[in-house]
Amino acid sequence: MVVLRDGMCPGLSEELVEAFRAADITTVEDLVSSDTEDLAQKCSVSYKALLAIRRVLLAQHTAFPVSGADLYEDLLSSTAILSTGNPSLDKLLDSGLYTGELTELAGGPGSGKTQVCFGVAVNISYQLKQSVIYVDSTGGLSASRLLQMLQAKSCNIEEQMEALQRIQVFPVFDIFSLLGCLHHFRCVGLQQASAGGGSVKAVIVDSVSAVISPILGGKQNEGMSMMMQVARLLKTIAKDFNVAVLVTNTVTRDGNGQLKAGLGQSWSHVPRIRILLQRLERPGSTCSSVRTATLAKSSRQPCHLKEEVDLQCWGRSEEQLYGMSGKRKLENTEPS
Amino acid sequence: MQRDVSSYAIAPSVKVKLLNAGFLSAADLCDLRPLQLSKEACISQEEAVEVLQAVRCEPGQERAAAAGRLTALELLGREQELGAIVTFCSALDMALGGGMPVGKTTEVCGAPGVGKTQLCIQLSVDVQIPVCFGGLGGKCLYIDTEGSFLVQRAVDLAQAAVEHCGLLAEDSEQQEALKGFTVETILSNLFLVRCHDYVELLAETYLLADFLAQHPGVRLVVIDSIAFPFRHDFDDLSQRTRLLNGLAQRLIQMATNHNVAVVLTNQMTTKVWNGQSKLVPALGESWGHAATQRLILHWEGTHRLASLYKSPSQREATVPYQITGQGFRDAPPSDQPKASDDPSVRESGSLSKRPRMEDDQSTRK
Amino acid sequence: MTTTAKMTENGAQLFARLEGRRSLRDIEPHIFPDGAGPIQGDVVEFHGTEGSGKTETMYHLVTHCILPADRGGLEVEVMYVDTDYHFDMLRLVTVLEQRLGEDAKGEDSGAVVEPEERVRACLGRLFVVHCSSSVQLLLTLHYLENTFCSRPALCLLVIDSISAFYWVDRSGGGESVAKQEANLRKCSELLDRLLRDYRIVVFATTHAIMRNYGHSAQADVAAMTPGLSEPSSSSSSWRQWSSHASNFDKAYLSRAWQRLVTHRVLFSKGEVTKDRKQVFSAACTTTSTRGTKCSSFYVMGGGVQFL
Repeated sequence: MVVLRDGMCPGLSEELVEAFRAADITTVEDLVSSDTEDLAQKCSVSYKALLAIRRVLLAQHTAFPVSGADLYEDLLSSTAILSTGNPSLDKLLDSGLYTGELTELAGGPGSGKTQVCFGVAVNISYQLKQSVIYVDSTGGLSASRLLQMLQAKSCNIEEQMEALQRIQVFPVFDIFSLLGCLHHFRCVGLQQASAGGGSVKAVIVDSVSAVISPILGGKQNEGMSMMMQVARLLKTIAKDFNVAVLVTNTVTRDGNGQLKAGLGQSWSHVPRIRILLQRLERPGSTCSSVRTATLAKSSRQPCHLKEEVDLQCWGRSEEQLYGMSGKRKLENTEPS
Repeated sequence: MQRDVSSYAIAPSVKVKLLNAGFLSAADLCDLRPLQLSKEACISQEEAVEVLQAVRCEPGQERAAAAGRLTALELLGREQELGAIVTFCSALDMALGGGMPVGKTTEVCGAPGVGKTQLCIQLSVDVQIPVCFGGLGGKCLYIDTEGSFLVQRAVDLAQAAVEHCGLLAEDSEQQEALKGFTVETILSNLFLVRCHDYVELLAETYLLADFLAQHPGVRLVVIDSIAFPFRHDFDDLSQRTRLLNGLAQRLIQMATNHNVAVVLTNQMTTKVWNGQSKLVPALGESWGHAATQRLILHWEGTHRLASLYKSPSQREATVPYQITGQGFRDAPPSDQPKASDDPSVRESGSLSKRPRMEDDQSTRK
Repeated sequence: MTTTAKMTENGAQLFARLEGRRSLRDIEPHIFPDGAGPIQGDVVEFHGTEGSGKTETMYHLVTHCILPADRGGLEVEVMYVDTDYHFDMLRLVTVLEQRLGEDAKGEDSGAVVEPEERVRACLGRLFVVHCSSSVQLLLTLHYLENTFCSRPALCLLVIDSISAFYWVDRSGGGESVAKQEANLRKCSELLDRLLRDYRIVVFATTHAIMRNYGHSAQADVAAMTPGLSEPSSSSSSWRQWSSHASNFDKAYLSRAWQRLVTHRVLFSKGEVTKDRKQVFSAACTTTSTRGTKCSSFYVMGGGVQFL
């Protein structure tokens, strides 16, 4: 509902707004759906002028169609695929995170969601030399862990510091500050929002459920409305700025005891890609860093694809990786 | 692009009136005076003033949001500056990366008698160790919901900590610092709050921000326990989940904004799964996301073990500890696996040393 | 508004408005009952939970519309209103390329046209518009009236999804249901007129987000007549399917919208086959036929494949 006010467009004077109001026309919708000829007579304004006002107002508030061919052309030139730095995750994601898309990591406590976010952030900032925006709503971001991951990749302190500088951290703790933060990105643009060099290629929100779940339930309209606004903003940011958006979510169990992503049915439609992370239930491996990742939603790959993901993969150099796998073999051969 | 009115922190009923009057975005409101707005939107003048404040301070808020942002490099500097609170159990300190991290929330879960409260009291003493001894020289706020805090025990641990530092004191600076580190000062810098039910606890967390602003020296907030008030008198479980989630977010905000370590204790509950019963932390699975770190204390025969179950910065690890008359300490050497710098070696070592480990782990899961 | 349209109308447009638009009756005989596919003026609602194959089916149908006639398509134009920011052009192109390649194999004569060129020619028949609020949707529909008027080849309007603004509108409307639904009601009224004036077909998706605790009449009918039109799956799994589907098939959108709908297709996820392929099911009911037409399909790399 857009209320008519004087000065909204050329020719829409205060008197005219009054006249419209007398004719029961108060909003733009009323005006565009009214019979122009009839209204022109009622408000004693020229038909031509009224038509012009109508056209301008409509143009101000409508969205314009784009030809599919042009859209495709744009996408081809702008879409990038960002490797996560973890081969098995990349396999699930069909070679990485796509810009313009919203990808969700769902998992229980300690399933490695935050570690995957760290790994992705480090890989984009160090390997791809691009900036990352990291919205932290759980206080879980540990810069010392990021540094550890970087140290495994490079011995050059300067490079490590540069990579850390390309990761912009935005702490938010409630839904309103998250909305404010996302609006801020949308208004000023992502490039201004990040001070470091390189262009922003990814926005990570860890986690969306932490700020949304406290407002769901009870008189839920307000909470649901907020949740859908977050969803819309994230998707708009992904599309408009052509960045990959990665969010984390909790899991719940459905009636059959199957794990599914949290935040309910309405949210389930939001992410384009969803990966379910689980601890590996294998005897003797409670302290293992290996998790199973299941593709729960994707338009590119068949769902239920499963991979084992080693969370240590980001924190280890090639040499260490080799050394560790040797050690794990030893562990496995121990009598149990 | 304008921010929608509906995304602001305004009462839902007022939002509806604003939308009905055609105020969709912040731009529609910006040039209005409260009187004008109250007339056009049919809301009271007070409400109109509130709305305009919420919307207008927005640019400021955004600047604040922008000021709150930092690069990971700056965050690294902050983390190193804040440090951690030692536990007096070197194995656990190592597993935690130096102790309980300041600026983060940590949940300590365990069965009754395993040593949760002991750890909390130990931390509330240790947080006060003077800076020249490698401590934080901070104060502690202790929120007791179970009535399990024993002053005598705190005195014992404080006495032991003072003696320990006395043995370490070498230079004159440390000698000087010791004068200010006595059982009396330790007790006077330990603020105790007793909450009897969840309403009192929630109210206390709302007051915390003011308290911390008045007492900037506080580096540790303990809630012992979070489970007790929330495990009883709740018919509406979704309401409980919502309250707990909100509480968790406020605590994280507190930990970040006021640079305090927040330590919560939680009880364990029996869960039957596929015909097997096992002990899991109470308050449901979604609560598992609440704290940044989760430490589970458990028995292994006659030994006590601490398992770091989740942590954003440290590897998961299981270490032994003991509770002595002096407090929370390393397990005696005979009980300890070979010390090693490489955590993976330590783990496999502990595995081979403890044949019963596996059974225990699988039941705990 | 109609006055303006009429005033600027020439003979060709008048013809287009009254006669020229193609019927989509035979767009996909697997989904729609025999001879009861959507014709000019019909509204088809695609309803289902997340991951039940709605979007894939929509891409399948859109592809069929924009494919050239010599490739077995309908060669008509499509307006795709994306309210969820959900539209995946890359996926649509994959499906399109698959269809173009498939048909090319069958013929060996004729001039060789670059595949890229052909894709682009097809995409030229597709228009995409993003809407971010129900007000914008309403005004965009007003704006699109001119487009419908001037493009006789434009036969299909897709709204994906019509339920996108449900929660925001509900919260914004306060206590009054009429206010909560005001924008969707106006959209429905406008669509009603556009359908009559321009004889287009509307496909709209709705997300199944409301749990239905009671049994709906449709689900009961389907459950009682398992053998009706489901040759490929056993009746027990069919029953299982229908009980699952009835959980979430509650129609929750404004009555004004419900009145417009002539075809309703309910999607649901079926079982996983032995070779680990997910089976999806669609059940179509229409106002003009009795009973339910059911179909099952896989979603493959190249799009929907009916069983």
